[in-house]
Amino acid sequence: MGETAQLPKVRPHADEVVPDDAKTRRAFLLGALAGVATAATAATVAPQTAQAQGRRPAVLKRAASQPDLFATGALVNAVVAPAEWSNPVARLVRRATMGMSDAELYSAKAMGYQAWLQSQLDYTRIDNTAVEAEVAALWPQLSQDGDTLYALDQGTMQNALQAQWIYRAILSPRQLHERMVEFWSDHFNIEFSKVGYLKVIDDREVIRKHALGKFSDLLKASTKSPAMLAYLDQTVSRVGAPNQNYARELLELHTVGVDGGYSEEDVAGLSRALTGWTIQGRGVFNFNAALHDWGAKTVMGMTIPAGSPALGAAGVLEAEQIIEMLVAHPKTATYIATKLLKWFVTPDPTASQISAITSVFRATKGDIKLVVRAVLNSGWMASAPLKFKRPFHYLVSAIRASRATVTNTTNMISQLNALGQPLYLWETPDGFPDLFEYWSGNLMPRWQFATTASNLRTGQIIIDTAPYLAGTSDAAIDLVIANFFGGEMDLGTRTALLTFLRAGTFNDTRVRETISLAIASESFQWY
Amino acid sequence: MVLGTDELAHDDSCGCQEYRDLSRRQFVGAAAGISGMAAAAAVFPEWLPKVVLAETFAGERDVIVSIFQRGGADGLNLCVPFGDPSYYTGRSTIAIPRPDANVAANLKVTALDGYFGFPPGMSPLLPAYAARNLLVMHAAGQTFVSRSHFDAQRFMEVGKPADLNYVSGWLGRHLALVPPMRTTAPLRALGLASGLQKSLVGGPKTLPIPNPASFTIGGAANTIVARQSILSADYTNAPVPLNAAALDALNTIALLQTVNFTGYAPANKAVYPNSSFGRALKSVATLIRADVGIEAAQVDIGGWDTHAAQGGAVGAQATLANDFASSLAAFHADIVATNARVTVVVISEFGRNAKENGSQGTDHGRASTMFAMGQGIAGGRVLSLGTNGLPGWPGLATDQLESKQDLRVTLDYRDVLSEIVQNRLGNTQVAQVFPGWNAKFRGVTR
Repeated sequence: MGETAQLPKVRPHADEVVPDDAKTRRAFLLGALAGVATAATAATVAPQTAQAQGRRPAVLKRAASQPDLFATGALVNAVVAPAEWSNPVARLVRRATMGMSDAELYSAKAMGYQAWLQSQLDYTRIDNTAVEAEVAALWPQLSQDGDTLYALDQGTMQNALQAQWIYRAILSPRQLHERMVEFWSDHFNIEFSKVGYLKVIDDREVIRKHALGKFSDLLKASTKSPAMLAYLDQTVSRVGAPNQNYARELLELHTVGVDGGYSEEDVAGLSRALTGWTIQGRGVFNFNAALHDWGAKTVMGMTIPAGSPALGAAGVLEAEQIIEMLVAHPKTATYIATKLLKWFVTPDPTASQISAITSVFRATKGDIKLVVRAVLNSGWMASAPLKFKRPFHYLVSAIRASRATVTNTTNMISQLNALGQPLYLWETPDGFPDLFEYWSGNLMPRWQFATTASNLRTGQIIIDTAPYLAGTSDAAIDLVIANFFGGEMDLGTRTALLTFLRAGTFNDTRVRETISLAIASESFQWY
Repeated sequence: MVLGTDELAHDDSCGCQEYRDLSRRQFVGAAAGISGMAAAAAVFPEWLPKVVLAETFAGERDVIVSIFQRGGADGLNLCVPFGDPSYYTGRSTIAIPRPDANVAANLKVTALDGYFGFPPGMSPLLPAYAARNLLVMHAAGQTFVSRSHFDAQRFMEVGKPADLNYVSGWLGRHLALVPPMRTTAPLRALGLASGLQKSLVGGPKTLPIPNPASFTIGGAANTIVARQSILSADYTNAPVPLNAAALDALNTIALLQTVNFTGYAPANKAVYPNSSFGRALKSVATLIRADVGIEAAQVDIGGWDTHAAQGGAVGAQATLANDFASSLAAFHADIVATNARVTVVVISEFGRNAKENGSQGTDHGRASTMFAMGQGIAGGRVLSLGTNGLPGWPGLATDQLESKQDLRVTLDYRDVLSEIVQNRLGNTQVAQVFPGWNAKFRGVTR
């Protein structure tokens, strides 16, 4: 492997957006990250609304609600956001990106809440040429068809697939799209180890293509994705010997949810309707009528009358009808609405939030853009409890905030593996968990990553410390807080970092250690 | 760069003092029933004040190694009921031949008794069985019906079916209910995983540690104490359970640095497979041998969702079974055979259909196997119950099957775990560990 990704060089972070209160930023070299994300015309920094500030409790540290981990309590631990998180645009940017870079935040503040959100939703209008050109140059195999991919080395392809995602997550200005790619990659999880090159096609043609499109298009593309059909054993299902694996997860995980009201008979009926859905050649969907079960079946109240082999290719319509029914099923709307609320807003959505988003989902026939827009409304964002970054989000957010130059994506892959989220390698179809109680215990790998990432002067991840060393230690800490925390940091942590920085010689080594502590700190684990 | 333990030993800036204070407050508050202490109330379960901790607790109890076979293991091919002819009629391509079949020994069942036997992949465990340290349990599982992996695993690990209000796991609650085996131990339990398995949720001083041999924040030795100190202070006011996790992690650094993982020499020349499961069990063995106060470890082995091309005496499941059995066999020779105070228990969320499907695999079913291993386990036999609750076998003939497709669950996993919790882990509060379950002990322990 050892592919080397030299990130595109971009112009330094635009002087035109430098606010008066952070003059040190003028000298800041943007490294690799960047200005890609600041395509928007910069005007003035959006005024902070007093509204949010006024409502927040005047404490420096957040107070946890009383999570009862044992019994009779809620499943979730709603953690109130700190008082310092007062800027509503920053709230939005934290949730809608893979990490809040200084550049992205200035851009968003300049545009304002609604305009920035809309621009992220209309992601195809955001110029992504530089990143995509680099991806195409670094990993040309990823755009190939099944026949070509089939002949390639699986290990190389796995690395390429993982590397492109990390690369795009760090550098793409289409950050909300990246968040949705992550969401749907879990929703329609497929383990690379089982399906190999087919996942390359699925990632490209199903997940990335429809991540902010229509749910019906996304689901239908997934149902005919060779990777999904192979992953969940649909390809070996046939008349007289139906395999229930895919049919079950299509109901349980992809559409109506485990409480969607289906029975074992419905699973069996759907598995029979899906017989014949298989792969032809290298990564091409095919309905093979010879494998189809033409008997009558019933799925969640929908009856498919007995057909005849004479119908041939029309047999595919049986399951297609059921899938149409599932797309429009009220339980599907509720299930997807709830998952999106959990992804973007709160681990414990209220009934009224679920009801509101379910309504939007149904009214828009599952238009993901409009549903996400509703989910990310400023009212809910302002009071949203904290969410705990998963390892991928954590790694990417650290790189984005630090403006590090990344020269070796293979190393990034192993860093992410050590953090516990090897991309495309979650074995079961439910996808990586998005639960605080699941990830919160595993801090040591994060602290190790923070140390490693901060201390590399050459090699894979390079953080330029010159801007931090250009002024006083106070200014260096302000810069850390601006870059890593959007300027919003409690006094206690600021004092601790400053005390540490001052306790040693103010030099490159000490600054790097200070940055590692910022990345390792509790505040940086949340978004 | 790793700081030597001597340098850390006399330094309290790692947060040990805060940690001790926090821990003591929790226990004092909990035991005395003090309700007004915010920290204690946040960390500790509300029901705990009702529990009277045994003051004269002996401290003598087993370390438990809990293993979850994720994906729904096909117990019928892990312990073959060769005495039931329906096994062979329902599994035309994946059945494993009887012990008396005219095929090579490595292609057929080795009898454990007159009815059940191990397939070739499980044969590494024959010595543990012969030593009467391994108990095989069949037709076991949860009586609550779910064929969803995720619901079934969740309810099993939580220890209370179909109750979405329960978040903590059975092992976590067990740990919370008993005082630490060693009061000074910074780490009581660990999950060999990147995220905490549900079984362990709620356990005090419990962390997921995917690789115990690499447990340090790293960086320069001359600043590591100061940096750890900052992290300790920084996380002190973090929300539950993040605050405890951070303190536990920082206090565990020194502990794990005293353990020589790379130089570990298993007893009895045991060789652990170089698989993720084998390495995890070896790490657990190293920690047990080091005697650092670990009371529980949760280890997972995945890949049991064998819907297609499962294979029989050889093939995909046989390979996985061999990894499973070889790893456990090494653990048996290394630890179980030499230490009377260790119990291993193995569960899976469900078994698979009695009959194979058209893909030479098996779809989600009901009952599966369970395994328990230890000198305190009544091993050397296969325990299975008939539908009347007496020793027997529910049967694989179509009219004997649940929904005409699945082996019935006649042995609830909570009966097995309750008996282990009470008799081997010294915890009489089994009704708290498995709420709402009236456990019947089945002779799992000696």
